[in-house]
Amino acid sequence: MRYMVGRGVKRKLSDCEDQMLDLPYPQQRQLVLNLCLDKLQSCQRRAEPSLHRSVLLANTLRQIQQEMRQEGGPPAPATPHHSPDLPPVPSDRPSTPVAALSSSLLCEDDVQSTCTELPKGPGSEDGGKSQDLLFGSFEITNSTSYLTDLQLDDIFEDIDTSMYDPSDFSVLACPPPRGSSGASLGNDYNLKAFSTSSSTLQMCLNDLDHIMEILVRS
Amino acid sequence: NCSGVAVDNGGSNDVQWCFSQVKGAIDDDVAEADIISTVEFNHSGELLATGDKGGRVVIFQQEMENKSQPQCRSEYNVYSTFQSHEPEFDYLKSLEIEEKINKIRWLPQKNAAQFLLSTNDKTIKLWKISERDKRPEGYNLKEEDGRYIDPNTVTALRVPVFRPMDLMVEASPRRVFANAHTYHINSISINSDHETYLSADDLRINLWHQEITDRSFNIVDIKPANMEELTEVITAAEFHPHQCNTFVYSSSKGTIRLCDMRASALCDTHSKLFEEPEDPSNRSFFSEIISSISDVKFSHNGRYMMTRDYLSVKIWDLNMESRPVETYQVHEYLRNKLCSLYENDCIFDKFECCWNGNDSVVMTGSYNNFFRMFDRGQRRDVTLEASREGSKPQQVLKPRKVCADGKRKKDEISVDSLDFNKKILHTAWHPQDNVIAVATTNNLYIFQDKVN
Repeated sequence: MRYMVGRGVKRKLSDCEDQMLDLPYPQQRQLVLNLCLDKLQSCQRRAEPSLHRSVLLANTLRQIQQEMRQEGGPPAPATPHHSPDLPPVPSDRPSTPVAALSSSLLCEDDVQSTCTELPKGPGSEDGGKSQDLLFGSFEITNSTSYLTDLQLDDIFEDIDTSMYDPSDFSVLACPPPRGSSGASLGNDYNLKAFSTSSSTLQMCLNDLDHIMEILVRS
Repeated sequence: NCSGVAVDNGGSNDVQWCFSQVKGAIDDDVAEADIISTVEFNHSGELLATGDKGGRVVIFQQEMENKSQPQCRSEYNVYSTFQSHEPEFDYLKSLEIEEKINKIRWLPQKNAAQFLLSTNDKTIKLWKISERDKRPEGYNLKEEDGRYIDPNTVTALRVPVFRPMDLMVEASPRRVFANAHTYHINSISINSDHETYLSADDLRINLWHQEITDRSFNIVDIKPANMEELTEVITAAEFHPHQCNTFVYSSSKGTIRLCDMRASALCDTHSKLFEEPEDPSNRSFFSEIISSISDVKFSHNGRYMMTRDYLSVKIWDLNMESRPVETYQVHEYLRNKLCSLYENDCIFDKFECCWNGNDSVVMTGSYNNFFRMFDRGQRRDVTLEASREGSKPQQVLKPRKVCADGKRKKDEISVDSLDFNKKILHTAWHPQDNVIAVATTNNLYIFQDKVN
C-alpha cells in the first residue's frame, strides 16, 4: 500500500507558541493538558501504539495533575473543549482507559459535575487502573508462531489422563478406521492412540475442532 | 585520512565536505515503504547498509579506488537488495507487527562472506551475504542448459572446472531470533567477544549467542510488577567496544546505566548511573520529554559515550557519572517552540548520532534536512544541508545558519521557515575515512571530504 507522506507540502510550526505566550500560567497548563489528553487518546487508536510515547505523555499528565492538586484552591474549570466529547461515564468502569483518565481528572476538578467517582486501585493515582489498561495493551504476543514453535507433545504434557481408560479415550477422540470391527482394536492401536506421534494427535485435534464447531453453532 | 587533517585551502583547518552521491527517488511524493529507517557502515567501510520501512535492506559497496580519477574517492553502488522482514499479524491483539527495519548491525568479517543482523519490532535475523563469481562447467552427464546426456553416448570423460561468471550476490537468512521480546525492539548490539549480542526493547534487554536461536538470557528487566507504576522505558542499549562484560542502556528520563555482566546474571542493578541534574531555569512542561535519550553510542576508543536527547548531544566520560564532559546544542532555537513541536509530535522524533573514526568529531541530524557536526578538539561546529540543490558532483557544501531572532541576515533561514517534515534521523560515518552517509526521509546522501 502506498501512502503519500508529505506531498511536497512544507510543515511549519503552528502558532501554538504565540498562543502560549499570551496566556497566564494556569491556562498554559490547561492547554498542554488538553493536548496531552488528545494525544493519549489518539495514541491508543493507532495501529502501532508506542509505549515510549504513552509513558512520556502519561508522565506529563501526572506532573500537571500533581501540580494542580498541590495548588489546591478553586479547581480549574473543565474546558469546553473536552466535556462535550467525553463519552457518558457509566456506573462501572468506562470502556476506554483514556476516558477513565480524563473523566477522573474532571471529576476531581469540577465539583459541580455529576459524573460518578471511579473506583481507584489501592494507593494508586487517578486512572491507575486505567493506566494499567493503557500500558497493558502493548505486549506483542507470540500468537502467530506460538503453535508452530511448540512441539505438539508439549501442549499435552501437563494434561492428567490417568483417570481415563486409554481404550475409552481412543474410541471417543479417534474413531476406529472404517471397516474395522471393534475386535481389531487391540492393544497396539490403544497404544498408538496414546502415542505422541503428531499425526495421531493431529487427528484428535481435528476431531476436537469438529466438536467445537458443532458446539459453537448450537 | 581522518578528520582534522589540514586541507590546503587558505590556511583553514576545516574539512570541506562535498557532495558525492544521492540514492533514492527524486520526486516529492514519498512512498511510505521507502522511508529509510537505519543506516550502517560495516567495519571496513567498504559496505554501507540501509533498512527501510518496507522491511528491505539495500547494501552499497564501495568500488575499488579509481586510479584514473584521484580527485574523488570511489563511489558506492548497489551490491545487494533483499527483503529482510515481512509484516506479521498478531491475531490476538488485531495488530500488525511492522516490517520496518529498526536497526542493522554488521558482524566483524571472519571469512569471505559478510554477515549482518537486522531487526524489526519483534524479530532479529542473521543474514549471510555471499558472492558467487564462478560456476562449474563441463559435467559429463549434463549439458550446460541442464539437460541430461545419455550415458551411452559418452565416449570420453573430463573433469568439470570452475569458470568465471557474472558476479552474483546472494543474501540468505541464516538464523531467526524470534519470540524473545514482548515490547518493541529498539536496539541490537554485537559484543566484542564475537559470540554474543544484545537486543533491547522498551522494558527488557536480552543476551543472545549468535548460533543459538531458541533461547536468550534476560539481563535487564525494568518492567514493574504493577504496570501502573511504569514511568520509564529503555530507549537504547550498546555493548562496550572492548570490554565484553560491559554495556549501557539509556532511558526516557535522560539517564544512562552502565552494567557489568560479571556482577550478576540479572543486571537490574547498575554499576554506574549517568545523569545530569536538571537546569531549573530551563524547566517547562516538556522538560522530561526533551530529556528522553534517543541514542547512545560508545566512542571507538571506549573511553567516552555520546547521548542524544531532543535538543543536544552530550559526551560522557565513563569515569564521571555526575555530568557530561561536553554538551553541544543541536538546535537551541527550538527551545522556545516546544509547545508547537509537542502539538505536531515532532518533539517525539528520535535522532541518532555518530562518531568519526578517531572520535574527534560527532555528527547528528536536525530538521529542514540539516545535519550538524561538532569538532571536539577545535571547539567548532557546522550546519550542513542534504538537498538536491547542493548535489552537483564534488560541489562543496555551504554551511547553513538558522536565525533565531527576527534579524535575519542574508543566506540565513529563520526558524519559522524550517520544514519539520524534512528530518534527518539517521547518519553514519565511515570507520576510517571522511565519508558520511546521511539519510533524509527517502534519500541517502553520501558526502566526502574534498581530496586535493
